[in-house]
Amino acid sequence: MNSMTMKPSPSENPLARRGVSAGRIVKYLAIALALFWSLAPVYWMLATSFKTELEATRIDPTLIPVHPTLANYIGLGGQSLPFFAFFVNSVISCLATAIIAVVIATPAAYALSRARFRLRGTISYSVLLFRMLPLVVMLAPLYLLLLNVQLLDSVGGLIVGFTTFGLPFAVWMMKSFIDAVPIEVEEAARVDGYPRWQILLRVVTPLILPGLLTTGTFVFMEAWNNLIYPLTFMTTMDKQTLPAALVLTFTGQFKTDWGGMMAASTVTTLPLMIAFFAVQRSMVRGLTSGAVAGA
Amino acid sequence: MSATSVERPVKPASARKNAERVPWIDWMVLPTVVVLAVVIGYPVIYTLVLSATKYNMLDMVPPKYIGGANYRHLFTDPIFWTSLRNTAIYTFGSVIISSLLGLTLALLTESLTGWRFRSVRALLLTPWAVPFVVVAFLFRYMYLQNGGVINAVLLDLGLIDKPVLWLNNSYLALPAIMVANIWAMMPFFFLLLSAALAAIPNEVIESARIDRAGTWSMVFQIKLPFLRSALFISSLLMIISNFNDFAKIWAMTQGGPGYSTTTLVVYVYRLAFENFNFGYASAIGVVWLVLLLVFALVYLRAVRVKA
Repeated sequence: MNSMTMKPSPSENPLARRGVSAGRIVKYLAIALALFWSLAPVYWMLATSFKTELEATRIDPTLIPVHPTLANYIGLGGQSLPFFAFFVNSVISCLATAIIAVVIATPAAYALSRARFRLRGTISYSVLLFRMLPLVVMLAPLYLLLLNVQLLDSVGGLIVGFTTFGLPFAVWMMKSFIDAVPIEVEEAARVDGYPRWQILLRVVTPLILPGLLTTGTFVFMEAWNNLIYPLTFMTTMDKQTLPAALVLTFTGQFKTDWGGMMAASTVTTLPLMIAFFAVQRSMVRGLTSGAVAGA
Repeated sequence: MSATSVERPVKPASARKNAERVPWIDWMVLPTVVVLAVVIGYPVIYTLVLSATKYNMLDMVPPKYIGGANYRHLFTDPIFWTSLRNTAIYTFGSVIISSLLGLTLALLTESLTGWRFRSVRALLLTPWAVPFVVVAFLFRYMYLQNGGVINAVLLDLGLIDKPVLWLNNSYLALPAIMVANIWAMMPFFFLLLSAALAAIPNEVIESARIDRAGTWSMVFQIKLPFLRSALFISSLLMIISNFNDFAKIWAMTQGGPGYSTTTLVVYVYRLAFENFNFGYASAIGVVWLVLLLVFALVYLRAVRVKA
């Protein structure tokens, strides 16, 4: 299909146009299929969350809830299990991890990007290597460490756990964002006589703000997805995170109540969905320009 | 200071670097190094130590040195080999399929522009924003024997004559989890490969067009070579993340039925936190660490070659 020659006068050659259309139909069908595959399960989760317990497990499932009900969502608030507490636990531990990781990582990323000290290469590669460590290798010693410093079964311990993957990731991601800031911008400010710390605060920080947000969101998402640390480190049910609570309660409360389960799932998904789409555009840039493509 | 670099144009770069040398900038790396040493360095070294001991938390006795016994046991432990095999199938199977699907989608949507591309891309990325545990429960629900939508649709289409127990069948359980995993992972490949496609220089595509390259040769001879490094690096990233995947498997089958979906993570978790056999669990962790280091080195080399 040499669209180069066709583009100037598409309407004058009906035969060629039809050839293009046939290819296009296949292409659009494939894209439609991909959209269906990506969205149908999400729709199914939403639809089921408005169904009654009985309707949710009908042998012939209904595409649209016949008797739409909010009972599943209302039930989350009023049952024996403190779902609101799980939600708050998740938000606090993940948000704190994201903030701590970004705050610690950004100065390091700046130094690794701009300064030229002796251990720079070694530290850079260790950070990358740490990011690839299997979490489960650290599980037992981390558990014993938290036991010794009495951080087991506390938000603090959870944050320590999340930091094991959040911090190396944040350093690497922030470094790629800082690498993308032209050094000339800083030099211009230096020529104007600004001290270095002011350049960092007033010139560099605004430029890497999208990067900070993206990195923070990514760490937040990874922490939100993590199941193994809350499952191992937390023993009091009331202190559990949302994903771990879903897993732990499923055997009891939700065993057959798929409507309630899907309502809980929707609530678990919502914060992640909002975070994800809020930073989607700068995320594309960050991931492609730095962390993967040009690292 | 910058005046010096103007006067000596021969070595401007190094002169500039000397001029901007501020010692405290170097020290900004310190907090990260300290935190990583505590939360990663210490546990990894402790794992090495524990792996040479007999240590069960429930016995209330301190770790006892037993040399390489844990490692010898490991070679004759059939569950270890099963979980190693399952890990390999789960990881490589999911990564290969979702990268191919993501690549196809990236190529298909390449010609879309403006709001159409943006909205299609946003919609295709949706599964990425669904938490792993939710992915697991959602598919578990759809796989149900009675009331599961997948069985209902397949029955309606006449492809099966009675409901299939997807997650209770030791042959089907692992592939069934992989489908959920592929669903969740494909957006990552789609996004990165789309971006890599957009980064192919226009001149290359134009000159291929002038040479009247067909659609297929355009894809295979012109575009794919440009995507090779993006494909390679994104696959490695996902291989590593899949090696670590615990949430989806645990929330769907807990490693069962039998050991048919037990991967290394699940096995180590069980050993450490159901049997509290920390010594043996650590030994498996160490072996696994070595396997992963091999991957990490390949990755680092790929990155370094690029840079």
